[in-house]
Amino acid sequence: MSELKKIDRRDFMRGAAAAGFVGATWAASGEKTEGTVWQLDPSKCTQCGRCATHCVLPTSAVKCLNQFNICGYCDLCFGYLQPGSRNRDTGAENQLCPTAAIKRTYIEAPYYEYLIDEDRCIGCAKCVNACMVFGNASFYLQIRQDICINCNECSIAKACPSDSFSEVPASKPYIYLTGDESTTKP
Amino acid sequence: MDIRAEFDAFDDKPRASFVAATAVLVVGVIVSIFALFIWLNHDPTRLLEAERPGYDGVPSGAAALAPKVNLAGVFESMGGQPADLPGYWPSFRGPTVDNISQDAPSLANAWPAEGPKILWSVDIGNGYAAPAVMDGVVYLMDYNEEERKDLLRAFSLADGSEIWRRSYKVMVKRNHGMSRTIPAVTEEYVLTLGPKCHVVCLDRVTGDFRWGIDLQTEYGTVEPLWYAAQCPRIDDGNVILAPCGEEVLMMAVNCESGEVQWTTPNPHGWDMSHASIIPMTLLGKKMYVYAALGGIVGVSAEAEDIGAILWEIPWVAKVVAPSPVPVGEDQILITAGYGTGNMMLRLSEDNGTFTPTVEYSYAPGEGLSCEQQTPIYSDGLLYGIMPKDAGSLKGQFVAYNPDGTLKWSSGNDSRFGFGPFLKADNKFYILDDHGVLTMLESSTEGYTQLGQAQVLHGHDPWGPIALAGSRMLLRDMDNLICVEVGADAS
Repeated sequence: MSELKKIDRRDFMRGAAAAGFVGATWAASGEKTEGTVWQLDPSKCTQCGRCATHCVLPTSAVKCLNQFNICGYCDLCFGYLQPGSRNRDTGAENQLCPTAAIKRTYIEAPYYEYLIDEDRCIGCAKCVNACMVFGNASFYLQIRQDICINCNECSIAKACPSDSFSEVPASKPYIYLTGDESTTKP
Repeated sequence: MDIRAEFDAFDDKPRASFVAATAVLVVGVIVSIFALFIWLNHDPTRLLEAERPGYDGVPSGAAALAPKVNLAGVFESMGGQPADLPGYWPSFRGPTVDNISQDAPSLANAWPAEGPKILWSVDIGNGYAAPAVMDGVVYLMDYNEEERKDLLRAFSLADGSEIWRRSYKVMVKRNHGMSRTIPAVTEEYVLTLGPKCHVVCLDRVTGDFRWGIDLQTEYGTVEPLWYAAQCPRIDDGNVILAPCGEEVLMMAVNCESGEVQWTTPNPHGWDMSHASIIPMTLLGKKMYVYAALGGIVGVSAEAEDIGAILWEIPWVAKVVAPSPVPVGEDQILITAGYGTGNMMLRLSEDNGTFTPTVEYSYAPGEGLSCEQQTPIYSDGLLYGIMPKDAGSLKGQFVAYNPDGTLKWSSGNDSRFGFGPFLKADNKFYILDDHGVLTMLESSTEGYTQLGQAQVLHGHDPWGPIALAGSRMLLRDMDNLICVEVGADAS
């Protein structure tokens, strides 16, 4: 049985100082890595609905956005109205959104504006899918960075069937449909 | 301690317990009553907001404020001359109302590498309206966005030079195109229906105004979404219209006098769709069939009971753009896009009473359904382009048996979007969403492509194709072109 070499206090302090010096030198000389955040690419999204159910937060950090420079401002908005709805109005029975998160406002004949109430939106993508199939495809999903807690391993990314999620630079945290952030606001 | 004191001490313990228990009970009862009070007065729905109709701020009675339109408008001579060229495409779906050119000359079976020759091109207003052709003149219902005018324009078939135009002022805003109807022409008349449901009859040659009707103000027509798309139909000297107003579902107006000849009631309050009235003869009876928003109706076109409803059947669809297609002796295919699908009706007749029966009804992708264009029935098959929600068949040109089974499809590499299509000289011509014209063999067995060429460069080339002789008229959102597709083209 061999005896373990005893490390005295002085040796330990020397080793710690050396390790600290090497680490500080590496950090100072190495490339700066920018922070990243999770985001989903709307061009890959298949509107499967898992964003609403797989986020670790009680209400998903994924929200619907409306790209206004693509929106047709239609009276018959397929993203807003239930398929088969009898009337084109704001009655609950006519709305496609399960949480009534889309606000329809008359502008002037024949145009209507559709705003997303993100506090209500659960990211289910029902409106995104309907607008994609029958409309101008102006609705799309994005992770709201002020809500997302940026898990090391995004729970929705793991469940996403179309591999839409990736880590993007924190300085450019959104993937807008036309690359113009301002058009997501009216 | 004496015995008396011991007894007193013994008695004090249960008394204290009793007092404590009573106090706890009283406090418990008070807390319970308070909790019950809180519970009974708590409204768990207090944070919910009702979503009721009218929250979007739509003003009521906006349509009533629409200004009266002077439909006689203004005539302008533009200097062009009618062409001395053959060809006749008098209205929506051509001379035989089936979108098949029955008397087309021999057309080229292949195109040179640069495609068929584009003979001329003219700038037109934003929309999907397609032309009618007669006696070397191309008639197009157009909209001038700068001057806010509906205008009927007459072009020479030879070179596209404008012969004359007649216009009237009406406010139309961009809403997925503006103009979207095809005029109806006869030797004497040209009939138009504008985006805001204005019907105008002009002298076909001179452009003189004969009469006009505002269907919204005179009949209570509800302007369809994205404007009116119903193409007027002239039959036996009368224009047949479906105003779908408060009282009148369908009517005939004499082209010469402008007098209403007959009307059909609208008992169910059906609304105007984007489809057009199709005359057809089923079970030996001539009738006008129309797919309204609400249902399908067959109206007698024979003198003894003209204008009478022969049969009707409800059908729910948000938007109906394709028109009914007669199939054989007694069937009618109805189809619509935006999630609707199709319905095949079979008519039966018993002692003059017609009864429609739904033979089958399929969801998009399960049977032939079209979103914008009307299918063609030819050689015992139904041809069309599948809608966006048809799964793997999305945008494919398909041939279906009348029993609803798929015969063939154009395949994953040949998709055409909303494009119009036409049959002539045993060939199909299809214009896709990107302005590419495809020519294919008309075959009951499969898709055989003969040629393909980029002929338009603008977006949304969805106006139906017209063919006059060997000259094919096509349009995108802002341009009308004339393409030579004849076999003798050099």
